[in-house]
Amino acid sequence: MAATADAPIDLDRLRRDRRERLVTEARAAGLDAVLLIGSAGVTYATGADTPTADVGVARPRRTVALVPTDGSLPHLWTWWPDGAPPDLPVDHVLPGLHLDDDHDAAALGTAVAERTGTGAVIGVDDRTWSLRRALVDLTTVDARPALGRARLVKTPDEIACIRRAQHLNERAIAEIGPLVAPGTTPAELTGAFLECCAGLGATGTVLDPVWQVVAPAVGAGPRSVTGDVAFPVAGGTDPFADGDLVWVDTGVEVHGYGSDYGTTWDVGAAHPRRAEQWSRLRAVLDAVTAAVRPGATGADLTRAARETEAGRRTPWLRHLYLAHGIGTAPAEAPLIGTDLGDEVDAATVLGPGTVLVLEPVIWDDGDGGVRCEEILLVTAGGCERLSAPGTPEAR
Amino acid sequence: MTTPTGDDRAHLDRLLDAMTAAGVDALLLGHEDGIRWVTGADRLRLTGTRPFAPACVVVRATRTAHLLATSDAGLPAFLDVDHVYGPSWDLVTLATRVAAVPGLARARTVGTDGTDPTVEDILAAFLPVATFVDAGPLLRGVRRRTSPADRAGIAAAIDVAQRGLATVVGTVAPGVTERRLSGAFAGRIGRLGATMPAFATATCVAGTAPRSFPGERTLAAGDLVTLRGGVVLDGWLGLVARTRAVGGATAGQVSAAEAALETLRLVTTACRPGRPVGSLRARPDVRAVDGLGTDLAPIGADDPLAVDDVCWIEVAVDGVLLGDVVHVGTDATVPLTGVPYGLG
Repeated sequence: MAATADAPIDLDRLRRDRRERLVTEARAAGLDAVLLIGSAGVTYATGADTPTADVGVARPRRTVALVPTDGSLPHLWTWWPDGAPPDLPVDHVLPGLHLDDDHDAAALGTAVAERTGTGAVIGVDDRTWSLRRALVDLTTVDARPALGRARLVKTPDEIACIRRAQHLNERAIAEIGPLVAPGTTPAELTGAFLECCAGLGATGTVLDPVWQVVAPAVGAGPRSVTGDVAFPVAGGTDPFADGDLVWVDTGVEVHGYGSDYGTTWDVGAAHPRRAEQWSRLRAVLDAVTAAVRPGATGADLTRAARETEAGRRTPWLRHLYLAHGIGTAPAEAPLIGTDLGDEVDAATVLGPGTVLVLEPVIWDDGDGGVRCEEILLVTAGGCERLSAPGTPEAR
Repeated sequence: MTTPTGDDRAHLDRLLDAMTAAGVDALLLGHEDGIRWVTGADRLRLTGTRPFAPACVVVRATRTAHLLATSDAGLPAFLDVDHVYGPSWDLVTLATRVAAVPGLARARTVGTDGTDPTVEDILAAFLPVATFVDAGPLLRGVRRRTSPADRAGIAAAIDVAQRGLATVVGTVAPGVTERRLSGAFAGRIGRLGATMPAFATATCVAGTAPRSFPGERTLAAGDLVTLRGGVVLDGWLGLVARTRAVGGATAGQVSAAEAALETLRLVTTACRPGRPVGSLRARPDVRAVDGLGTDLAPIGADDPLAVDDVCWIEVAVDGVLLGDVVHVGTDATVPLTGVPYGLG
């Protein structure tokens, strides 16, 4: 595993391959250019580095990318010129803009019109009000379907980034895991985890790491509106106590690609049902993994999971999913097992190069339950696991 | 658990009063920093930006807020589980739940903080009497003016950021990597109860312009190292930026530090009520004059400052980066930050 996770990543090829995929899909959708203001899309289209930040810091200072579909290089507006990719000429790297400011947004609108010409169709991933006003004379459509199709199939360098981020995350968890004990707080654990990740080479975090103490019965609170376990919720400063059931969800970044690590800890002695729950979770993971191959549908995966736990609760959280994609966004297409329903799952066909994060849950109300995550790459012949096994006896 | 407003609905009431004054019947909010300012909800923090989605509904007629969530976890006491609508991956299902929020269907003027092209069309179909308007100016106006309780929250966040910075300063030494410094910040603020840096901590050997991405570079004697760290604590941002010399400062570095401090003081003094910030921000050595609260908000170039604005000022001169949070008081503008400015 370690040797593979250390495989070199060719950043020039990563950027080139991604841009080619995006341009192909955008052109097929009839777009003359794509104007991106969301962090996941900008990272995908350009490889520009942006400091990972809380939304209150990230939103006012967005990085913006304009990607023409005629094959010419993108333009980038950034507050962090030292994060601009080296393949962009200096006149394509422009000062950062405040997109909630009419003056700045109008300047961007003018630049877009100059570079694409009047009558061009511009795909956008999001708009501020100022940007909406600035683009009023251009034809804008939602770019996300095209962007989503491009991101669905990962290039070898993208896969290497995900593998490396995940491996780094796993190493950090192995180092800080022993700190989980009565008296330690979730915030302390977060500090130790991020410190460890920085030392290992992570460039940021995808979310505030989750070390959530879960009550053994849904009715014990917090009050759920889904009937399912309320997860994930923000951590805090209340210390862990003996007997706590802790659900873990962390993600760190390498070159803009997130890891997704999930596990379950018992503080102190494990609950008597835990071993049985872990083996049921393993059975669900094995059944779903066996179903993952090119041509399989999302419905094949949900069926495999449900049949393994036949007669019991659906083995994933109904407000989330059984599986999701991962890349420059922490959860991206395909989403499998959502409330969009079986028809949507049946229409979701897997192909080689798609990366799936499985996150099943075994829950016996009153006794708590277990969750973990495993990352699979769909290959020509089936699938390959990019993460370490998520269940303890398989590690 | 503490939140930007605790269990106090002061922010929500201020917002409702501003909505009344502006003739806005309801708000649909998508940005989490604004939602935590309005409601005090303490929810899982994700990094980066997300497209607009109706994650919070504020209705003037009922004088309350409703939140998109799976449970009442992290909600203040005045918003119980009856004020929660569940998430859906199906925008039509979500729009149905939003439209069912009491009072919203009758709202004629509905402000939003974003205009996602697809979401906007669906919401328009479910709220046929609504005209959607830009809620940005209304929200900025009401969020900008800080109360003493707001400033106490900001000061607490700054205190954690400063103690994080002190740990980083104690780690600065020849042979240490930039990345180890940023890790030291994360470790300390976690031990102090803040769970995530507000942004990736920039602890970098100074270049001709301040760098933003710590790497494997090792500090060497004679380097200047810029240290910028921020935290989110109970929803509030706390920020600080300083520069330290590795192994003793040269005369040139000392004079750059003096020039940077002079600029910082000059800008701080100039941040007075009635003064627009555009001319201050236009100075080549000034990197930021922004509003600070639960976000780092740009202030329009022609937008005059007012009493009880809180601002983040950042300057850089010849590799020396300095940043303070300041409060525009009635009599003077004073830094809320208290870390020594020197390079030692």
